[in-house]
Amino acid sequence: MRSVVIARQKKLGRKTVIVLPVLYPRELLTAMGVHAVELWGPPGPPRSPAAGRLQGYVCAVARNALAFLASGGGRDADAAIFPHTCDSIQGLATLAPDFGGWEKPAYRYLHPKGEDRPAARKFVRSELERLAGELARLTGRPLELPRLSEAISLHAEIDRLRRELLSRRPFLPLSDAALYRLLRRGEYLWPGDHLEELACAARGIRDDRVRHGVPLMVSGYVPEPMSVFDCLEAAGAFVAADDYAAVGRRIALSPPPAEGDPLDRLSGMHFRMPPCPTRTSDTGARMEYLLSLFRRSGAAGVVLHVPKFCEPENFDVPAVFRTFADAGAPVLVLESELEAELSAQSATRLEAFVESLKFKGPSR
Amino acid sequence: MILRKLQYKAISCLGPGLLSVASRIGKRPGRGSAQGAAHPFGPPLESGRKLREIMSLHYLSGRYADGAVPVAWVTSGFPVEPLRALGFHAVYPENHAAVCSVKRLVPELSAAVERLGYSRELCGYARADLGCAVTGTTPVGRLPRPDLLCCCTNICQTVLYWFRALADRFRVPLAVVDAPFVYGEAKAGHLEYFADQLRGLAETAGGIAGRATDRGALLETVRLSREGSLLWAECLAAGRAVPSPWTGFDAFFHMAPIVALRGTKECNGYYRMLRDELNDRISRGVGGIGNERFRLLWDNLPVWHRLRPLSAVLAENGFNIVCSTYAAAWAEAGAAIDPADPEGSMARAYLNVLLNRDLPYRLSFMKRLCAESGSTGAILHSDRSCKPYSIGQVDLQRRLVSEAGVRTLLLEADHADPRSWSEEQAGHRLAAFMESFE
Ligand code: SF4
Ligand code: SF4
Repeated sequence: MRSVVIARQKKLGRKTVIVLPVLYPRELLTAMGVHAVELWGPPGPPRSPAAGRLQGYVCAVARNALAFLASGGGRDADAAIFPHTCDSIQGLATLAPDFGGWEKPAYRYLHPKGEDRPAARKFVRSELERLAGELARLTGRPLELPRLSEAISLHAEIDRLRRELLSRRPFLPLSDAALYRLLRRGEYLWPGDHLEELACAARGIRDDRVRHGVPLMVSGYVPEPMSVFDCLEAAGAFVAADDYAAVGRRIALSPPPAEGDPLDRLSGMHFRMPPCPTRTSDTGARMEYLLSLFRRSGAAGVVLHVPKFCEPENFDVPAVFRTFADAGAPVLVLESELEAELSAQSATRLEAFVESLKFKGPSR
Repeated sequence: MILRKLQYKAISCLGPGLLSVASRIGKRPGRGSAQGAAHPFGPPLESGRKLREIMSLHYLSGRYADGAVPVAWVTSGFPVEPLRALGFHAVYPENHAAVCSVKRLVPELSAAVERLGYSRELCGYARADLGCAVTGTTPVGRLPRPDLLCCCTNICQTVLYWFRALADRFRVPLAVVDAPFVYGEAKAGHLEYFADQLRGLAETAGGIAGRATDRGALLETVRLSREGSLLWAECLAAGRAVPSPWTGFDAFFHMAPIVALRGTKECNGYYRMLRDELNDRISRGVGGIGNERFRLLWDNLPVWHRLRPLSAVLAENGFNIVCSTYAAAWAEAGAAIDPADPEGSMARAYLNVLLNRDLPYRLSFMKRLCAESGSTGAILHSDRSCKPYSIGQVDLQRRLVSEAGVRTLLLEADHADPRSWSEEQAGHRLAAFMESFE
């Protein structure tokens, strides 16, 4: 599917860039006519023995990405962007381009760590300018600010629709699996095409409740394997709130200002995203956010779906336990290693968790 | 408050004398003493006693620091100079975690935080330190409560998660100095960003200390830091002599002052003494091990909980670790600090620490260390719970072999947690590695 999309974009004269997780300035790429294709692993067994260049105690996302790139999986792309999400991707950002595995241009997109402060805002802006310069060399065309303004509006509309689909979950006649397939098509579709699909789905939102069962909040990194949703559905539950790094955490909390220098507006977006450990957000602020998301959604429990060996996600687990224990909400931790299918053991645990919630009253 | 200040001052002034007497009285037969059994090492370093004294004093004075002076807990790569100039007592949780690791306390401390939900795969230092905070257990008596937590991301992003958890626990502010990763050379904008944050730090820390930075004190601290790094570099350079007057395992212990007391007179005085002793041993042909036949490089953190048996098995077979990327990292970057331009040079020095640099740099650094020290082999400690140091080692290993003709061993362990250690497997791998030299 992705290669078909890439081929179509190439025909339109667009360059394709592979992007590693998590956060990158989509608006900038769109404005410069660059087609972004995200690489979350991919799931399943590594595509080449190059995974062995990273030790077995490094997360599957980084190992699979290296194996994929080294096996020529990105041959249709023109460049790759490595956002500085964590120590592992930072390491991968020198390993693959410098020691083999990725021979095309590699752009590193650095995030400021720590709280929002003037130095951090200045830093985001200068990183955007640097990336724009690199993309200009790739495309042969400089960044035009009016186009950036348009791209900011386009992505704001995409965010609005994504938020609507997720927050009006009980009224959307789509299974979780279908909804997540739709949302995740944004990882490789041209934004304008993705917007049309989202708008079409949003038109299907009903006035009456169509989703029944145990409402859950899912928090984690990436919804893989996707069969987790089939399992939840079979157990009688549905996703009422989403806090996946790949999904909900990339929807800005508020739209960008309508006026002003587009680069400043885009820099500001970085600080308007929901709290995320991969951006080293303050844990207290994140817990407040999670609790409010949980309460608004009416969820009865939390599934924490974290990748094994992932430091950013795992460091927050105790705080999530504490926060939701205080709120009287049960939490299930599901560890994943980007398996192609949900293991029987994980499926059983999910089923048992949902069963236990069916007999429990609402959380505080 | 006044009593605390008096206690803190008294320990700082009288402590050295008392500890020196105590350490002479309490001296146990150690490596190379007449009472020790036959062993493969050279005579022990006399400076070892002084090292124990100054580090004990550091922890002892820490017990009386809170309430007497402002206290900051800082990461090892944090630009500590502005804090010292403001009169902060600096505590290094990484150094403290290393002490816990040597004392084999990590399984117990880690278990305490695993019960709270922390994964056993997280950095062993972080688990140990958080375990101390949760249980109150510490091998150093007591750690002073922090007024400020200071974290620099130039060694890893992990420290930021760890220090956030501490800030949450102690309910004190966290000052973050973010260090963009260096690909090739540090970019001008990144240096400026770092220097900007240093100015912010001076304000935050000054607010807690209740005073503004005294420029003279800052310049003096910066000067001491640079001098300390250069002295430490001289100590490490002694390892180039054949035989090396000490071992890399010694250096792991003797690096404590450059980590935890950087920018102080005590640190520099200590390294002058150590350097002189090492040079004296060189002139007398005294080696760190009895019969040095092969010279090795060590990469990554030490396996703190196995230092003794590892050093013994290597020494028994005539192998000496004569250099390490870990110990040398503290000599390299610090030398760039310059009192003529404190903020700018601190930005350069602290951005360019080894773990904040790309793999081509790390490879060239390892090759240089091998060439300078005459090391024909390298042990790369593949450290389960330190991802930033370990990612890339498989390629570094291959390239050391193919580009520098260095024999290598990738040895999997954990710097802090003995539960990941397999004695049998490590033994076999080490034996096969050593045989390849014969
Ligand atoms: S899963 Fe975690 S450790 Fe792995 S690449 Fe993503 S953020 Fe980094
Ligand atoms: S041991 Fe590694 S992961 Fe842990 S604090 Fe040090 S550099 Fe970071």
